Amino acid sequence: MRLRRRVAAWARRRQGEDRLPFGVSSRRVYILPTRGGVAFAALLLVMLLAGLNYSNSMAMLITFLLAGFGLIAMHLCHRNLVGTVVRGIGTVDAFAGEHARLFVTLENSADSTRIGLECSTDDSDVVLIDVRPDASARADIPIALPRRGRFPLERIRLATAFPFGLFRAWTWVHVPLSVIAWPIPRGRREPPPENASGGNAPSVLRGGDEEWSSLRAFRDGDSPRQVAWPVYARGRGLMIKTYESPVAHHRMFDFARLPGSDVEQRLEQMSAWIVAAHARGERYGIRLDGRELPPDSGHEHRARCLNGLALHGSGEPW
Amino acid sequence: MVNPRDRGGIAAALVFGAGVLLTMGNAPAWCVALGLACSAWRALIASGRLARAKPRTGLRFVLGAVTALLVLAVAASFRTLNGLAAGTALLIVMGALKMIEARSRRDDAIVVAVGLFMVLAAALGGQALWRAPLYLLVICGACVAFALIAHPGNALSTRAALRLSARALAMSIPLALACFLFFPRVSGQFWTLYRGEAASTGLSDQMSPGSISKLATEYDPAFRARFESEPPRRAALYWRGPVLNTFDGFTWRRVGSQVYAAAPLTMLGEPVRYRITLEPTNQRWMFALDTVEAKPRRDVFMSHDRQLSVMDPITSVVSYDAVSYLETRSAGVLTTLGRRYETRLPEDRNPRTLALARAMRARAGSDAEYVRNVLDWFRSNGLEYTLEPGTTSVDSVDTTLFDTKRGFCGHFASAFATMMRAAGVPARVVTGYLGGEWNPAGGYYIVRQTEAHAWTEVWLDGQGWTRVDPTAVVAPERLQRGVYDMLASSLPATSTYLHNNRWLNRISLLWDGVNQWWQERVVDFNLGAQLDLLQRLGIDAPRWEHLGWAFALGMVAWITWVALTLRRSVARVKPDRIGRAWLRATRKLSRVAPPRAASEGPLDYAQRVAMARPDLAAPVSALAARYARLRFGPAANAAEVSSLERDVRRLAV
Repeated sequence: MRLRRRVAAWARRRQGEDRLPFGVSSRRVYILPTRGGVAFAALLLVMLLAGLNYSNSMAMLITFLLAGFGLIAMHLCHRNLVGTVVRGIGTVDAFAGEHARLFVTLENSADSTRIGLECSTDDSDVVLIDVRPDASARADIPIALPRRGRFPLERIRLATAFPFGLFRAWTWVHVPLSVIAWPIPRGRREPPPENASGGNAPSVLRGGDEEWSSLRAFRDGDSPRQVAWPVYARGRGLMIKTYESPVAHHRMFDFARLPGSDVEQRLEQMSAWIVAAHARGERYGIRLDGRELPPDSGHEHRARCLNGLALHGSGEPW
Repeated sequence: MVNPRDRGGIAAALVFGAGVLLTMGNAPAWCVALGLACSAWRALIASGRLARAKPRTGLRFVLGAVTALLVLAVAASFRTLNGLAAGTALLIVMGALKMIEARSRRDDAIVVAVGLFMVLAAALGGQALWRAPLYLLVICGACVAFALIAHPGNALSTRAALRLSARALAMSIPLALACFLFFPRVSGQFWTLYRGEAASTGLSDQMSPGSISKLATEYDPAFRARFESEPPRRAALYWRGPVLNTFDGFTWRRVGSQVYAAAPLTMLGEPVRYRITLEPTNQRWMFALDTVEAKPRRDVFMSHDRQLSVMDPITSVVSYDAVSYLETRSAGVLTTLGRRYETRLPEDRNPRTLALARAMRARAGSDAEYVRNVLDWFRSNGLEYTLEPGTTSVDSVDTTLFDTKRGFCGHFASAFATMMRAAGVPARVVTGYLGGEWNPAGGYYIVRQTEAHAWTEVWLDGQGWTRVDPTAVVAPERLQRGVYDMLASSLPATSTYLHNNRWLNRISLLWDGVNQWWQERVVDFNLGAQLDLLQRLGIDAPRWEHLGWAFALGMVAWITWVALTLRRSVARVKPDRIGRAWLRATRKLSRVAPPRAASEGPLDYAQRVAMARPDLAAPVSALAARYARLRFGPAANAAEVSSLERDVRRLAV
């Protein structure tokens, strides 16, 4: 295990960081016999000794034929990996205790299917994919998240034991990559009372024809009554007036004002609020570590808020 | 729980079953039956036709006990575990039990490895040419099994696995040949294998009336002989086998091997050099043309009567080179002991023959004249040469000469030697083969059991041991023709048909020739043959090291070839039609905007072009969007690709 880590570190120094997309060149493909391959070699050795011992030409022919086969198997294994193009790598974060996902998109420009490509990280299970000629395929690798925080993925391992399982060729992909485990949403789902959580009063209702808050471009289906005609008259195209929803609340979840001394529990409570607020379509913001994310909504905002919770205490900026 | 069709498991079971079939000759029947049953069972389970037994701890114990029992059974039935047959039986038993508990891919791989081991065992048992394709078939099956075991999903079809395996094996044939030719062989054995007992065939160290004629009805080859130069005429092809020196009135036997010192011998005429490929006889005799000059190999014994033998019974095909002379002379004298030894005769047997012999000797002036007279007597006394001489009494020679007057070569040789010994002339019976069938397809003689023959050797002072063949005077045509041409009616119908049908005979000779080539060039290939080959390749005084160099050279050449062959098919990455169309479009557009950066996606690039040339914005972004959809979206059809190509052509910059 330690040896494996040292070899991996050596490869990291040797290869440097990868910039996507890139083709897997033979310079970075390593190959070793599998356990089955070692057993096969031992079998050949016994066969050779038997053939030599009894001066048995047939046994020797068989041995040499199988030896050649083994070497061809090595080449076939090597070339199943070499030339694969790593097109894209993406991650999806998740809550602690669940699985984040790592997507690796591989492309094959060779004229035969690349069968049995094994994709994995140091700690993940192996995901097998096949890439047809002139096509791409995506491996969806689940990454276990044992606890809150950021989990760097030092390297992605692409390997193959194709076609006979006697050799395994592999390469390491080094891309700065990590997944974030958000705190588990646990606790009360209803939003905190205004005073206790420091949530502000419902925002001022704003309405009325002239008090639109922002403009956006015209889309099919928009009512002509919402078009900002004066703007159009100024020659700036069809714009639509948008208003704050009269019932929309925005809330601030303030970590510092949460009762209790258990940091994790408080983070989990905030996580639960964020999830609930997001599900209701509310606008919300968080205040944590002296930083504030102003109220907003949407998936991106939710992720930023949860990231903030996940990285709390790590000293890492968010 | 189990994949309904576990192709790896099926393939492993089939390979194992085929391996068992290959070893059928070596392993006992019960082992073969067990192996086949287990492999069928495993194949049925793997194909989902049979439910698998639930794993229980009890089952493991039962399996363990059965294993121990079966190993004991093997040991008991062979009384050893070191031996080809015992080892094969053990392999079958182990593999069969492994299949019963096979669950994982690793188990299947082990079963395949055992199957390969059985191919080895089969090869050690027999190297005949016809077996080679069978071995190859099983090996190919094993490779397919490895592939299917390594890829249990559906991505690798069985057909693709077969194609891959066949290709890999085909590509390794050159390496196998180079290794075969140049891999330095060592001679001598590190350990020996007990080969078991088999019935002996061919001539033995005794001869009773009828034993030779019985042998002569068999059509099997005894050995094949290839002469280095022009072969001697057929009538001179006396292949000497066991020399018999002791007679009890009925049976001639070989007793003792180095009883007295042989007289020095002078070889006359040209030496005849030849190579004999002897079929296994399970006996110790080796055959050589009449008078062999020296023992052909270090491990061969040559006794005082120039009889060749080896230490252990010959159980596999052996080849040896020998040098013989057709004429010899010995100016020395036979020692007193030798004379007494070679004239021993039971006085109370064959009284009529003994009386006749002594009377004739009294009339003759010398031993040589006596020999001539006796041969004349054989010629003129109405003796008949036949494969079915009828029954004989204890006084077998009397019966042959005076009652039935019918006999085969053995009868006449026995009678002649008796007459010699009765008259005090040293004589012995030599058994062997006379003649042989010329195989024009291979340029060698096939000597079959049919040609089994017996003759005598008589000591004449001043001349030494002299061959006298009484059959030659009774049936002179025997010297020119084989028994098959003379006495066809007494022989088995199938073999006479095979012998007389022109086409069948030609085909069988051709097949025999190919097999002989295989035997001489492939099976018998050894260090000596390797060095000969190097010499023919132009290396003076080749040594072991030269072989190493040739081997290394061949290896490097092959690896280079393989690397180049397999690399080409990876590196040949050409853009497809979609890619080419897009390339053409970007080339056109490079006139109006800075060329597309390598990392720039099609849509980004289109936007940049649109910025540079707003008039082109609409067509270019449409083109880029379509390219992106064809490239990265679901599989494109040909019409869409053609339409893309057309629009690229029409794109006017």
